[in-house]
Order: sequence, then structure tokens, then C-alpha cells
Amino acid sequence: MVLFDWTWNNKGLRAFYVVKRMRTIILSWEYPPRIVGELAEYVKKLSLQLAKNTVDVYIVTYHDYLTGVSSDLEGIKIFRVTNPVRTHIGVLTWVLTLNQEVERATANIYYSNNKQIDLMDAHDWHFIPAAITIKKALDIPFIYSVESLEEHRSHGANSPFNMAIKSIEWLGMYEAEKLIVKSEWMRDEVLRLYRVPLEKMKVIQPKSAGWIKEILETYNSLKRSIPQHGS
Amino acid sequence: MGHELIVLMFTWEFPPRIIGGISPHVYYLSKNLAKTGTKIYVVTCDFPGAPKYEVIDGVEVFRIDSYKNPSPDFATWVYLMNVNMQKEAAALVNSLDEPVDIFHAHDWLVATASIGLKHVFRRPLIATIHSTEIGRRNGIHLDYEKMIHETEAWLSYEAWRVICCSNYMVSHVQWAFGLPADKMRMIPNGVEVEPYTKYKHEELSSFRSKFALPDEKIVLFVGRLVYEKGIHILVNAMPKVLEKVNAKFVIVGNGYMKEQLSNIINHRGLAKKVIFTGFVDDETLKKLQICADVSVVPSLFEPFGIVALEAMAAKSPVVVSDTGGLSEIVEHNVTGVKVYPDNSDSLAWGIIRVLTDGMYARLLRDNAYKNIRKKYDWNIIAQHTKIVYEDVLREYSRSFWA
Repeated sequence: MVLFDWTWNNKGLRAFYVVKRMRTIILSWEYPPRIVGELAEYVKKLSLQLAKNTVDVYIVTYHDYLTGVSSDLEGIKIFRVTNPVRTHIGVLTWVLTLNQEVERATANIYYSNNKQIDLMDAHDWHFIPAAITIKKALDIPFIYSVESLEEHRSHGANSPFNMAIKSIEWLGMYEAEKLIVKSEWMRDEVLRLYRVPLEKMKVIQPKSAGWIKEILETYNSLKRSIPQHGS
Repeated sequence: MGHELIVLMFTWEFPPRIIGGISPHVYYLSKNLAKTGTKIYVVTCDFPGAPKYEVIDGVEVFRIDSYKNPSPDFATWVYLMNVNMQKEAAALVNSLDEPVDIFHAHDWLVATASIGLKHVFRRPLIATIHSTEIGRRNGIHLDYEKMIHETEAWLSYEAWRVICCSNYMVSHVQWAFGLPADKMRMIPNGVEVEPYTKYKHEELSSFRSKFALPDEKIVLFVGRLVYEKGIHILVNAMPKVLEKVNAKFVIVGNGYMKEQLSNIINHRGLAKKVIFTGFVDDETLKKLQICADVSVVPSLFEPFGIVALEAMAAKSPVVVSDTGGLSEIVEHNVTGVKVYPDNSDSLAWGIIRVLTDGMYARLLRDNAYKNIRKKYDWNIIAQHTKIVYEDVLREYSRSFWA
């Protein structure tokens, strides 16, 4: 994004332009070297492409013991957190006590960047609670990138456990500024299951030629719709 | 401090939602803190008929959607409720004109919401630990219990200060979570005497007759019917008490042991001597406490023992087991009778002692009444709490978060 700015120097007042880099935080419960499904590789590919397109990328992800901040060769900064509660009765309680560490890492990125974060991109339901809290507290909008849905993962099961995950998915879709889905089929499933308005969803197929361009367009559309906090 | 101190309290229960002792604790604490010029926002679970937002004696109360879908189990419900609580509290803090100075959480039931917001807003967190899983269960046996135990440990770790209501709980919490002594503060629970002065003992005879015959002494138990409250010790003591005194046992509260207990009572032919009232409204409870000839607290684990203080405020003599916070509240032979914990013979002895010696009973309750007005006044407790807030803010102002 191009911004005009001005400064005083020995020749007097001078106007110039600066290119303000977009700064985004990606929330994903898997990222290499931790690979559970297809999401890890996808998020890695996405962040590399974003970095090539002058986006500052911060990843907040989980690893059991490789915790802390690291930076890879392409300039992507990765914050790995672990779960302070070591004993769990299932993935749901595990996720719900991990989100506070995700919030801590995200808030640390926010404060160390002079409160200048343009948006968050949350992949699947795991870190949706954190995305919502950060949105409400720090006015950072988020995109919900849908990889899969509980309905399909659990083959339509409706136990209280599945319903809880579905309620988090619903909340994420309600609170997100936009949904990125990876196929038209998924768009129709989200519409069928959660009644999300079509104009809130953007189908971007990862294998398509204009994939990263469309992602950047979607990111940019979000940035303009929300006033910057503290700027 | 240039401006009024602003505190956001997290609690899973607040009147009219009353499950245990946290609800009245937060109610009286916040009300009396407001009197000291502290601005209190309470974020709590919703309750049928209670408004989403209201102002009570200067305290602003926000009731959040507490996740009403079915949950796999209680702990999972707690974590799901915290998602909503955190979301709504985040929006609330963001909407205020002035920043919140301190987050104050009560027990693990609000741990995740308060820990997250501490980091997001970078404000200090204070935790009051009312009770622990390891104490409630007398040890950690299952993964489910361990998860709750670790959540409590995490809350105490994240907190700038940990407040407990008795010296017993301070040392218990230090032991359970390995906390340094300088992180701990003891501030007792309080009791309000005024609500009890509305009713006169003499005017309650028709109320009393609903529960007991005129020649029956009332032995009152108030508490959840669960293992840690020691209600089964009282049931075992009943035949021994009835050998010496004509008494009626009034059991107020609900819990998972209820059916088992009433089976035992029926089996022993004691059904005519025992009344299970279930959960009763506040007015009935207070009247019962005033009518009680003796109030019994036979707990096996008791972090504080607010029920004993309430009985003292109602001018009912108390018999308590010598454990936890109860040991500190009661001075034996002065403000009540202490008996051996987990010992029905000892409990029966204590009850008989009070019921058969009128002079002794009167002495105990008069001493106890004087004592609570001196030591367990909410005004004083609120001021002690405010000092903790101010100390923490002073330390916080020198941290890199400030």
C-alpha cells in the first residue's frame, strides 16, 4: 500500500511516499515441522508466497516442546506455543486451554509492532476463540480460512462433543470479516450447514493460477474496511 | 493513583445465581469495594430472569451467555463458557473510556478467560483461590481431575497475587501449586449481620413448626450433599444424638449423595427425625439458621467455612470439625465446639453437649456474635483487598508492560 508522508530536513519540508507493508498474523494449529494433515504444508506455502509479495508474515502455531520465536530464511516469523495444561480428556479441552497461549503470542506480536497489525488469518476452528478475543479486544479483523468442517470430519455425528466444535465453527463464521473456502463444494456446504451469506465467502482454489493474487486481494479488501487502531 | 481504581471481576456465579460460596463472596466484596471508591465491573454467567446488565450498589454487572448447549462433561462446559466470557469481557474492556487496572478471577472456573485477557490487554491478574480440586477430591486420581488441578496451577502461576480466605488455604495452595510465600495474601471471608436482624427468634414459632415439633431441638446442616462436606458423618452420628436428645435434623442443600443418604436414613428408621429440604431460598435459609438450636459443619475439607460464620451471625451455636478454615474461625469452648474430623462419635458428643447445656450454648453464641462483628466485617475485608490492588499496581507500574 502506498502512503504519503512528509518530513523536515535541511532543504525544508519534503513530501515523499512510503510503501507500507501489510502485516498479518496467521493462526494455525499445524505448521512444519509439525504436520498433522494438509494444513501445515498449505500454510507454509501461503506464508512463503505472502512474504514474496511484501507481506510481513507472523505465524502463531503449536508445538509440544519447540516453543518460542524463530525466523526462517524467507523472513517469516514463527511463534510456537505449547499447552500449559498437560493432562487432558480430549482434543476439545486441549484446544480450549491452548487458545490463551495463542492470545499471549498474538498480543506480543501486536505490542512489539507498535500495535500495527492489519489482519489475522485463522485456519480451521482450533484458534477461533483466540481470533475472536483479539478482534474484540484489539480491533484486528480476521479471516476464517476453512480447510474442513466438523460435520464431515465426524461424519455427521451430533454428540455434545461434536456440537461444541460446531458451535465454535459457527461463532468463527459469525465473527469473521470474511471466509476463504477452497472449493465451490465447500462454499455450498458452509451455506447449507451454517447459513453464511454468499457474499461473505470467497472461493480461492489453492491449485489455481491466480491463487496468491486472490488471497492478497481478499486481505486488502479487509484492510480498507476497518480503521487502523492507534494509528 | 490519579484516577479511580478500575477492577474487572470474573466469577462464574453471582446472585441470583448461587451454587456455592463464591457468589455471596463476590457480591459482598464488590459491593463493599465500591464503597471505598473502587470501580467494579463483574462479568458472570447468565441466569433465568436476571438482566444481561444491571447496576447493584454501584457495581456494574454483566451477565454473559454461559453456553447452554449440552456439554460432554462439567469441565468442558467450563472451558466453553469461558470462550463466551472472554469474548464479551474483551468487548466490554475495549468499550470503556478508561483502561481497566486489574483483572480479578475467582477460582479455575474463570481461569482461561482471565488469563487470556491479562495478556491481550497487558494488565495484572489477581486470583482468589477459594478451593482446590486436590482438596475437594482428597487427592488427584483421574485425568479429568488432573486437568482441573493443572488449570488451577496455571491460574495461580499467571496471577500476580493469590488471595486465600484462611491461613489453612494459604499453606494448602502453596503446597498444591508450589507457590512462593510472598505471592500469597490471606484475607478472610466476611459475613453480613444485618440481614439476620430482620427476623426475631420469638416471631418464628409458626415457621419453626413447619420443620420440627416444639419439643424437638433443631440440628441444622447447610451445604452441598457431597463427600467433602462430611454429611455422612452427621448421618452416622444421628442415632447417638437421638439416644440423649429429642432432635430433628434439617438438611439443606442438594448433591450426589442425597439418594444414598436417604436410603441409609430410611433403613435405620430415622426418617421421621430427618428432613431434606433441598435447595431453599435465601429468606427460608436465614430463618432456619435463626431457629437452629445447633448448626453443624462436619466437613472433611473446608477451605473457609462460610456456613459457620452465617450460623454465628444468626446467633446459632456451632459444632464444627477441627479442620481447614473452620479451625481458625472457631475457638473451642469460646465461640463454638470443635470435634474430631471424620469421627461421628466426636460429632455426636459435640451436638449433645450444646443441646443439653443451655447456659453453655448461650455463652458460645454470644461470644461468636461479638467475634464476627470484629473480624469478619466486609468493610474491613474490602479495604484489605484494595491494599492488595494498590500494591500490585505499584509493582506493575515498574514493569515493562506499564
